[in-house]
Amino acid sequence: MFKMNIPGAFLRRSYRLKCTKCLGRSLSTATEEKIEIPARIERGPTDILRALESTITRDITAAHYKYHDDPYLLPMNNLAKRSFAMAQEAGRKAAHWVRSQHPELFNHQECDPPIEAFFPKMVYNENSEVTEEDLKNVIDRAQVSDAILINNLLKAKGLEITNETKQSLLELLCYNNSEDILDEEFIEERWFKQSSGIKDRQRKTWKDASAAEEIFISIDKPTSDSYSAIIQGMAKFNQAARAYQLLEEAQEKGFELNIHAYNSIIKCANFIKENYDLRWSFIVNMLERIKQAGLKPNLGTLNAVLFTLSTMVNSRMVKDFALKTLNEFKSLDIEPSLGSWYYILITFCKDRGPRSAVLKNILNEIENKNHKIQDLSDTHFFVTAMDIAHHHLNDISVGQRLHKLLLFGNNYDLIGDSYKESIYYRHYFSLVLSNVPLQDFMESMYNKLVPNIYVPEPSVMREVIKQIELNALIEYIPRIWSDIIVFNQHNREDLLNLILSVMVDNKPKQDTELVEKFANIGWDIYETIDGQNQERYSNLQFTGDLLGKIMIVLLRNDNFEKACTVMNKLDHQHQSIVGVPCFEALSLFVDHCIKNKAPSRAIECIQYASDSGFPDIITLGAKLNEQLTLDEKHLNRLSKFVDLKLS
Amino acid sequence: MMNLSRNIERVPFRSIEKQLVASYCNSSPQTQTKQEEFRALNIRNVKDPFQTRRRLQKTAVFPPRADQMPVDQDWGSVWPGPRSFHPATVPLPVRQGFTEKGAPPPNKFNNAELMKIPNFLHLTPPVIKRQCEALKKFCTPWPKALDNEDKIQKNFPIEVISSDYCYSSPTIRDPMARIITVKFKLASLKLDDRARDKFLRLVGPRYNEENDTVTIVTDRCPLKKQNYDYAMYLVTALFHESKKVEPWEEMKSEADMEIYCWENNASKKNIEALFGCKSEEIPNAAEYSEAVSHYMNEGENDYTISKYGEAVKKLLKLQGTN
Repeated sequence: MFKMNIPGAFLRRSYRLKCTKCLGRSLSTATEEKIEIPARIERGPTDILRALESTITRDITAAHYKYHDDPYLLPMNNLAKRSFAMAQEAGRKAAHWVRSQHPELFNHQECDPPIEAFFPKMVYNENSEVTEEDLKNVIDRAQVSDAILINNLLKAKGLEITNETKQSLLELLCYNNSEDILDEEFIEERWFKQSSGIKDRQRKTWKDASAAEEIFISIDKPTSDSYSAIIQGMAKFNQAARAYQLLEEAQEKGFELNIHAYNSIIKCANFIKENYDLRWSFIVNMLERIKQAGLKPNLGTLNAVLFTLSTMVNSRMVKDFALKTLNEFKSLDIEPSLGSWYYILITFCKDRGPRSAVLKNILNEIENKNHKIQDLSDTHFFVTAMDIAHHHLNDISVGQRLHKLLLFGNNYDLIGDSYKESIYYRHYFSLVLSNVPLQDFMESMYNKLVPNIYVPEPSVMREVIKQIELNALIEYIPRIWSDIIVFNQHNREDLLNLILSVMVDNKPKQDTELVEKFANIGWDIYETIDGQNQERYSNLQFTGDLLGKIMIVLLRNDNFEKACTVMNKLDHQHQSIVGVPCFEALSLFVDHCIKNKAPSRAIECIQYASDSGFPDIITLGAKLNEQLTLDEKHLNRLSKFVDLKLS
Repeated sequence: MMNLSRNIERVPFRSIEKQLVASYCNSSPQTQTKQEEFRALNIRNVKDPFQTRRRLQKTAVFPPRADQMPVDQDWGSVWPGPRSFHPATVPLPVRQGFTEKGAPPPNKFNNAELMKIPNFLHLTPPVIKRQCEALKKFCTPWPKALDNEDKIQKNFPIEVISSDYCYSSPTIRDPMARIITVKFKLASLKLDDRARDKFLRLVGPRYNEENDTVTIVTDRCPLKKQNYDYAMYLVTALFHESKKVEPWEEMKSEADMEIYCWENNASKKNIEALFGCKSEEIPNAAEYSEAVSHYMNEGENDYTISKYGEAVKKLLKLQGTN
């Protein structure tokens, strides 16, 4: 409810009436204060929402808000995160499909003001009546295949289209390589799609003799704009040679290309020139041409030059060139974007090169600033920088500064996609794990970021377990094990072996909760391997060593029955189980047999040990014989493989 | 009947026979019973019609996240907006509902009652404070000169009320948003008695005598702006109409008066004639006139009659004769 006191037209009139009436009184009330109403503070339609949003911080116990906040529907591992989000996306796609199949059901217009995205899409086929207007609309909405179809229809009808429309059609086709692109609405698909750009970058993907080229040829009098568009398109999809050829052609004909065309050609220098020296001289040549054409270089030029430099071999010269380029552009007042810094990083911090602290200098430049995306390569910065902080520098302070920068303002938008985010955190976790006491790590990072923001990969979990062993903080083992189950990593043989050997090697104090918890973990592992689906493609196999460790952990908690099950497994599947348990496990088992007065089980165990070729079975046999009074039958069995008289 | 009894006889006999056979050929009793089993007709020639259903892999359900919440967490971030109650997210041991006598109300899990009622968990006092802080930058200070209600009333006599509606739906229109309410004090129009009387007759029940307020609600036009203009038109028209004096208004005679007014009536002339001077000069005339007006306006009852009697006695100085 809004209340407003409006001194409107009517009021003003009544004021006037008042004034004329009380003219005599006005002298006495002249001292009345003047009322000043401050001007309204202008605000945009979403400013209030944004202000309210700024009061909210990330809730660490909650998953991303795209998921349903319900224990049954909250994803706890990467697979669930992906499939839950993609399920939603699939629903969205199904809705799109229904709308395109039955457009007649969606003729009602609930929305006011009209929302174009809600209306059924226009469908064009060979028989549709089209005009240039339609073509323009389709180009505006970036529907590539429809644009090509309409253009062909118009051509078949013999209708001429204006040069402007032709130019914008050419630009659309060149930008998209005459292909439809994924709808902007499907953000989840974009987020979870593994960055395919890396693979495509290396090879030619430009469609030769495609619609774009046809349009270009059909333009009677090509202008510099049409040349620029086709050159950019070819260069973007790595048809470098022809792009360069067209560039030369345009220059011969005296067209003035725009700066973007030059930028894209510089980016393809690798394809055009073989040698590093030639490439550099090519870049210099291009920059000269830009100067001659009277164009002002922009951020794209800077990034293109740095990109080409970053692909060159590691040498002093290249680094010098990179720094010179930065300086040059700084004097032109062109601020480098995160993408430029990304190229600088990969130029300076090569795997086998000398260590370079350039990241620290870069951080000094970009810290505590809100960055916006200006170049596609901007999204590569954070993941690469964290990689360098971890592998190249191994400097925790750099990592933490970088992470602070990521959380500053809206910089998190530049993390890229789910894949990059995951790698970023993998490096960050490994870096912190190896440089910070484990307790601090668990409190400050693990508890806060796992599993809602980041689910550690098996390699990170392995490092965590190793750190637990190094720091002898075995009380974290149950927590880590439950996380391993939650993250669906309990079918990783290396993790199972590692966690078991940590449990065996670090014997907890007797009569503590940990002994029981460890035994439960051991039994969990046994049941996981035992109960798994036999038809599965990659099955986990029991090994003798693994079963021996499980047995030790169980026996430490006096779980004799379960240990017997494990022993039976060992004994009965003797043929299929690879390897043998350690002798300590068998010895412990015999001890517990004695304790529980189960001589036949002990004898079975000794028999197994003898079959497995352990040399020390005599001591086991002797121990059994001494501590339990065996009857005739047992003695007979035992004497078959142990020479009791010897002992 | 005959048939049935024979059947009954046959059944135990056959089973005995079977047992005999079974005991004789002890080699494979299982196959024997299998043949005796009821066989289903296998029309589609499926190998094993009784396929075992694939066991669904049960995914583990995690404990409610309310259990992991730290005590000092920022609740405003956990529950940022209005939403229906969820037991796994609210770390409070709330109970709601009705069960048999003596039992406590059901707890928060699986409790539909808690989901039905609206909650204001998103508007806790610290959150309101925080949001107000964030919204402060859009607010202008209150004009200093307007420091009391009288000044506001004097400078801004008219109050316009309208509502905006906001919800998630494809349309931003709401028919309720068109309604305009205009309020002002009748005194601020500064009308004389005749005009005021006419104004009141025109506005009818829209005038509230208790606080001297006229309320005009307009909703007949489809848009808010139109309704506002119409309301303003109404106020203007009412004002000018009540000021206007029509020729027939002059023809209002004593009989048309809606209340008895002593000044205009015979009673005044009579006592003036009786005392031979102006009514203002007569002692106790004011009390008398009041009593007469009361008697005429309120009707005849014990109180007005006795009051009238007292006044007459006072006027005529008949004290003490009673």
